[in-house]
Amino acid sequence: MTGPLFLGLDVGSLSCDAVLVDRNGRSVAWTVLPTGARVLDTVDRTRREVLELAGVGPAAVAATVATGYGRERVEGRIAAVTEITCHARGITALLPGTDVLVDIGGQDSKAVRLDHSGRVVDFAMNDKCAAGTGRFLEAMARALEVDVPDLGDLDAEARTGLTLSSMCTVFAESEVVSLVASGADVAEIVAGLHRAIAARTQGLVRRVAPQFDGLEVAMSGGVARNRGVVRALAAALGRPVTVPDEPDTVGALGAALIARDRALAADPAP
Amino acid sequence: MIRDHFAELVTGLEARLADAGPGEPVARKTFALEAAQLGLRLFSGEAPVAWCGVLAPFDLLHAVGFEPCFVEFVGATLAGNGAAPPLLQLAEAEGADPTSCSFHRTALGAVASGLIPTPEVVIATSAPCTGGLAVVEELARRLRRPLFVLNVPHSRHQAAVEYLAEQLHDLVGFLAEVTGRSLHPGRLREVVELTNRARHAMVEIDRLTRHVPSPARPRDLVNFALVVSLLLGREAGVRVTGAYRDELERRARDRSPGLQGERLRVLWLQNRIQFRSPVEPLLEELGVAVAVDELNPVTWPPIDPEDPFPGFARRMLSTPLVGGLAHRLDHVVRLARGYRVDGAVNPCHWGCRQGSGARGLVDRALREAGFPVLNLEVDCVDQRTFAEGQVRTRIEAFVEMLAERRPARELEA
Repeated sequence: MTGPLFLGLDVGSLSCDAVLVDRNGRSVAWTVLPTGARVLDTVDRTRREVLELAGVGPAAVAATVATGYGRERVEGRIAAVTEITCHARGITALLPGTDVLVDIGGQDSKAVRLDHSGRVVDFAMNDKCAAGTGRFLEAMARALEVDVPDLGDLDAEARTGLTLSSMCTVFAESEVVSLVASGADVAEIVAGLHRAIAARTQGLVRRVAPQFDGLEVAMSGGVARNRGVVRALAAALGRPVTVPDEPDTVGALGAALIARDRALAADPAP
Repeated sequence: MIRDHFAELVTGLEARLADAGPGEPVARKTFALEAAQLGLRLFSGEAPVAWCGVLAPFDLLHAVGFEPCFVEFVGATLAGNGAAPPLLQLAEAEGADPTSCSFHRTALGAVASGLIPTPEVVIATSAPCTGGLAVVEELARRLRRPLFVLNVPHSRHQAAVEYLAEQLHDLVGFLAEVTGRSLHPGRLREVVELTNRARHAMVEIDRLTRHVPSPARPRDLVNFALVVSLLLGREAGVRVTGAYRDELERRARDRSPGLQGERLRVLWLQNRIQFRSPVEPLLEELGVAVAVDELNPVTWPPIDPEDPFPGFARRMLSTPLVGGLAHRLDHVVRLARGYRVDGAVNPCHWGCRQGSGARGLVDRALREAGFPVLNLEVDCVDQRTFAEGQVRTRIEAFVEMLAERRPARELEA
């Protein structure tokens, strides 16, 4: 590996993601680790791991940009940039022409409106409550006694889906436990969960894009790996929802690209 | 407790003003001192107190000899010194709706705790919010004091002015009847002249703060017009507004920005956050000046000292939060343009029915005029619900977005 590399670190509540790009903005290596309780240790491990995957040492990194809720805690960064800007930058590189990006992470969900050049023109975030985020799905998977990655296809056999009366993580978890105990079909419960998340997310999207017609919608964040949620969201919006190959690294990719842009703007031949 | 707080404030501010060197900014300290002295007077028992709705004509009440104050002042003061949470809990335990406005809930908690001095009269206003009206009525009931309600029309036509002016005459009659305090025409004229002098300085402040970069320092004009309304008709009002005018004039003349490195300007909608929060320091750190607060600019014409009642009525009706929303939308868009802001911040104060109801339309009006809006979703008084990480991310993302837009806007200009 030759030439300078640029590192993006997305320190989220559930996962810590790293992406390395080269001076042409091409992704060289990426990794995703669970954040856990010791955030700084995880950041170090994530950084080491992505460098190992790229086969380079720390000196190869010309600039680092951090994002995510732990962005201010990353040492050696040239900047801390919010998830909104980083996800927008990342999705524009992966899926140019995206009008609306839905990013659902561990405890935040966001809808971001982009203009034709990929700039953020508006955004909306969930309020205080983590309903419909990665943490919510974790709790529901626990109540259903299934693995989180398996949730995505469990609703494939559902006919209509059940309606959950509450999106509060605590109440929804106990409702799911009651439904399972009463013999309700797991596929129907999961379909109901996905539909509830989609309805909530549709509300966020509407805040930044009152009309959905003709919009190119993309989704990033760990929850985008759940095919059931993506299908339900597409149905709720009446628009296809495109998911890039590694949706949970979109923020880190955006951070790496911003690191590259800023470093090359400051010194075109680092 | 509240009296001690004001007494400490007065002592501290007097000392700081006495120590202020030549050229040192003193307007904010002068303002804070007058507000603290007002608080101290309310709690000293020396003058008859009138607890009021926020739109009451405080200068008229001064002329009659009252020490008037709006109940939200209590909520804001207690939030400012971190004392609101136990009072909020108490109010909620006594049945106050936790989804109601915390300015009002704190005041109810203060009444329940016996922290509020017993007034001689209570004067409610039906605007700007019915929540405020209900709380002031409740205060009169609990403290067993006579209540007068000013019914503020939702129109600004001459008939509405006359209707309200007539009620103000009735108010004066009510005060004479239940307290024996009457209004002397000469005293009223003096008070109105003081109000007009303060108003004149406030108009100058509005003009000066339109400068780019703003000569006002970040916290200079926080809660300004709301609290100054309590000082109208007094020398204190003239002193405070004059201090600001002189200081801002000097800073504008010297091209001395209130915020070093101002790179973005925002309009702040409705109320500021009253407890110590990282919001204002963060805006400062990011180079964002609050160029104007929605409720600060003067919206009313001078008051005729010979026939002041229609003028008091016009002032009440001119408040952006009174009447149909179209007035407010025109007002905020005009401010955004006039103060050349990059965007607007709406704290979306939890529990404010009026603010919540208007939020979408305010949002749309500003966006259509080209001004992005950040909705913070905070409670301006109840610090228990403040989610620092979320608020920080929203503000930073909004500033990143505005900064991206700035070069394009400058090119357009």
